[in-house]
Amino acid sequence: MSAVTTVPAAPTVQPVKPVRSRHRRGAARWVVLAVVVLGALAMLIPFGFMLLNAFKSPSDYSSNGSLSWPTGFYTEGLKNYWNTVNFPLKVWNSILISGTVAVAAVLISLLNAYALGIGRVRGRLWIVGAFLLANMLPQESLIYPLYYMAKQVGLYNSRLSVIIIFTVIQSAFGTYLLASVLGTFPKALLEAAALDGAGKWTILRRVVYPNVRPTLAVLLIFFFIWTWNEFFIPLVMLIDNNVQTVPVALASLQGDRLMDAPTTNAGALISLIPAVLFFLIFQRTLTRGITAGAVK
Amino acid sequence: MRVYRKLIATTAVLAAVTLGLAACGSDSGGDETSQASGAKTLKLWHYEGPDSAMAIAWTKAIEIFKTEHPGVTVNFEQKQFEQIQKNAGMILNSDQGPDVMEYNKGNATAGLLSSQGLLTDLTADATKRGWDKKLSPSLQTTAKYDERGVMGSGKWYGVPNYGEYVTVYYNKDLFDKYKLAVPTTLDEFTKVMDTFVAKGVTPLGMSGAEYPAGQLYYELALSKADRSFVDNYQLYKAPVDFKADPLKYAADTFSAWVKKGYVSKESSSLKAEDMGVKFISGKVPMIVSGSWWYGRFQADAKFNWDSFLFPGNKLNAGSSGNIWVVPKNSKAKDLAADFIDITMRPEIQNLIGNNGGVPVAADAAQITDPKNKKLIEDFNTVNSGDGLAFYPDWPVPGYYDVLVSGFQGLINGSKTPEQVLAAISKPYQEGVDEIKNS
Amino acid sequence: MAETLTPTDLSVRRPDRRPKGGAYWLYLVPGGALFTLIIGVPFVATIYLSFTKWSGVGDPRWIGLKNYTRLLHDDIFWMSFRNTLAMIVAMVIVPTLLGLLLAAVLFDSIGRKFPPQASTALRAAYYLPQVLPVVVAGIVWGWILQPDGALNAFLRAIGLDSLAHDWLGDPKTAMPTVMLVMIWVQIGYPVVVFMAALQRVDPELYEAAELDGAGWFRRFRAITIPQIRPETFVVALTCTIAAMKVFGPIFALTRGGPDNATNVPSYFSYYNFFQKLNVGYGSAVSTVLTLLIILVSIVFIRVQNASQKRDEEI
Repeated sequence: MSAVTTVPAAPTVQPVKPVRSRHRRGAARWVVLAVVVLGALAMLIPFGFMLLNAFKSPSDYSSNGSLSWPTGFYTEGLKNYWNTVNFPLKVWNSILISGTVAVAAVLISLLNAYALGIGRVRGRLWIVGAFLLANMLPQESLIYPLYYMAKQVGLYNSRLSVIIIFTVIQSAFGTYLLASVLGTFPKALLEAAALDGAGKWTILRRVVYPNVRPTLAVLLIFFFIWTWNEFFIPLVMLIDNNVQTVPVALASLQGDRLMDAPTTNAGALISLIPAVLFFLIFQRTLTRGITAGAVK
Repeated sequence: MRVYRKLIATTAVLAAVTLGLAACGSDSGGDETSQASGAKTLKLWHYEGPDSAMAIAWTKAIEIFKTEHPGVTVNFEQKQFEQIQKNAGMILNSDQGPDVMEYNKGNATAGLLSSQGLLTDLTADATKRGWDKKLSPSLQTTAKYDERGVMGSGKWYGVPNYGEYVTVYYNKDLFDKYKLAVPTTLDEFTKVMDTFVAKGVTPLGMSGAEYPAGQLYYELALSKADRSFVDNYQLYKAPVDFKADPLKYAADTFSAWVKKGYVSKESSSLKAEDMGVKFISGKVPMIVSGSWWYGRFQADAKFNWDSFLFPGNKLNAGSSGNIWVVPKNSKAKDLAADFIDITMRPEIQNLIGNNGGVPVAADAAQITDPKNKKLIEDFNTVNSGDGLAFYPDWPVPGYYDVLVSGFQGLINGSKTPEQVLAAISKPYQEGVDEIKNS
Repeated sequence: MAETLTPTDLSVRRPDRRPKGGAYWLYLVPGGALFTLIIGVPFVATIYLSFTKWSGVGDPRWIGLKNYTRLLHDDIFWMSFRNTLAMIVAMVIVPTLLGLLLAAVLFDSIGRKFPPQASTALRAAYYLPQVLPVVVAGIVWGWILQPDGALNAFLRAIGLDSLAHDWLGDPKTAMPTVMLVMIWVQIGYPVVVFMAALQRVDPELYEAAELDGAGWFRRFRAITIPQIRPETFVVALTCTIAAMKVFGPIFALTRGGPDNATNVPSYFSYYNFFQKLNVGYGSAVSTVLTLLIILVSIVFIRVQNASQKRDEEI
């Protein structure tokens, strides 16, 4: 049992405690809720500004500034942009790339972490560190070599190149997180399964996987959202308009010297929707408690 | 249940991936199975917004091209400026590039690519089709690059359709309110600004975080400069002394203007967009910036406004607009040249002129809107007087950030003019030395 | 099962207990192969490029150690690390501590005493800044922080005129302002990771402690913190790496200004790669930055591993 310091209660206070503590807890929880809600509202203020300006006409925005209430509900800019840039196609490209990367990176992370965290492979500290290198390298130093390699194998200007690159980059984080978590995996479970004659693969599927599902869900969400917002590598690797992703498409609202702020905001708000949806769908697995009997 | 949901989700994703990969295979590499002559497709890129004068004119040019070349498909894609700016070298070095595209003029962009052999030499077409007659010599500076990639001489690598220059936009209503006339000399200009300051209005909008500060500095320098200065500064003909006029004058005057309140100290963190919005919302009566704002003001400004040349200057920041280039790997070079030729025709040029742009070869009589006409006439005045002096950040790659950093210090008062000049002269000298020694 | 005195090297602890099946390192093959290709090769290429002079097109020219000697004397680069320290405070220390507290409150307090939708919605609200593209965040925060933007308007409205300021334009306030924006951006990440981590903690531990009379904070310190130590390390290290590499938000808010007040090493590297077209020098900057990050990470991982060993010896 890990170190749990218990606090000896003063026996004389005990009979009174339930009543008093219930009242205290009752009030306290509302105060706590209020503080957290206020914090959340503060976090959302910038989004409020985005909403305020996303549907303003350009002349309204320019004449009255970014703080004013819109004088009308203007959707022309967004509609034009939507059609010019073929936004639905960009959204699809983003979903395809981010979704594939999320699933593939989680799989690879799990495999790596199994070997490192549970299998305790020799030199695993260095291996984890090596994998983390993927996160440490600034992206601009990756660009030229990856460009040349992609050109060689004919993957330049394809979504597959972006998928492969981000699977590797995201799985570095996944490997580190999962290996750390699996490093503290209860040995008793593993030994019991091994004694029952289970092989490594079976243990992975039947014992390890069910227990790290919340962590996997977190990774899935993170990988999807991080890949969704990636701008630089897709900008370099995806040339044809029909393979480009949403962040790259948003950049077309920003020229050399001029930019279209209201439409950029509207476009960004819309591009938030798939990412947020993904978050809401998969975070339900985060709120389910662990299956009882994990340690037993 | 959870397992099933995950399974279904995973299967769905895998199925989508398979379909996606199949699609990937077919769309990566737009293969053109055509030769240079007898080519059947023209892949054309530009990055001007769809409402801009250039885009309107070029859309018409594409239409005309299609009628004159039946059987040729025009594959037009609107790109992002940032993508082309950063990756042009990489794109043109592959087989995924276009047949003809808009590209930035200047040594660091077109010059660099041409010196690496990534652009087609257009000299033959230029003489044959008469582009060299339609463009004034000073506009041709940004069309020609030598073997080192320095503009001004050498072979033709690009063709501009439009021009740009820095001018002063002013709010007529505010001028009328304070009974001010358009200034024609620098002294009158400062008097106008004094009047505004006395009334509690900041006369000049500014943006310290982007290009406008550097352009004001340059305009001030040009008020005391001659053509040989521009040649030295931009074309490295002779060394430039940052401790002497005109650059010293420019920094000192800029600083004086900040102290007198002509330029707000709080503009050091503003972006160009913020400055433009301030003008459109009527908060500042004047801004010194480029012809590229015209279309935006035309659409969004709800008051009377117009422009005048920087008072007293014969030289002004400005150049040709972006240029059409034909990548070396283009598979439709003749078609590309045909398209470029169409864009130089009067009807296309007039379209640029009538939609808020500044054409290089238009018939002034055909321009209908009076403000637009003035914009173009002012440009022609500067151009015909060989007054286009390019931009202050052009000489050395990365100099843009140096200027921004230097002049932010001047605006918020953390640097003296001497310090700013010292800070911006070192990178300039180093950069020029590198270019000369390479 | 004779428990022999095995050496503390855990990797050779239980040779007789290993389950059947191929060796564990086989599981590393897919990840490892991809990694070598996508990261290993470019890393080596970057090191090679750091010894050359190259503009991104044409052929690189070998110049030996010149880039590194130049980098050693480059004041701007080393000064920018000062800002990295500020970023570490804003992106590691504050978000990890606040995030831990927030996650515990959301999971424990609010999660158990209010309907689950409450903690779900609140978590989504705190995480939302992480989903926003950096460029757009820059625009919106620009609106708020401009001299005549929302923040100053609010201060004036409540009578605090004297506090109104040019937040991003004054070199003295630019960095603290950027730090606050970074906290806003970062805090959602630890919250989500820690809330998932809290799922792993056996509720019976809490119940036992509660029965013994332990208050919320006691339980937090004694149970929560030790149990989610792996995630704490991961969050701390990845946030540190992110802080050392941060570039996008700085670029969007201040472009490294005013006057290098918010310049960071990563922007310096980017600037050399793409604005100055000095890929060789930029590669040297990248390599040095990466080596520093590697050093920091090694320290972290060592500490993490030591603390994990300590836990297992109980």
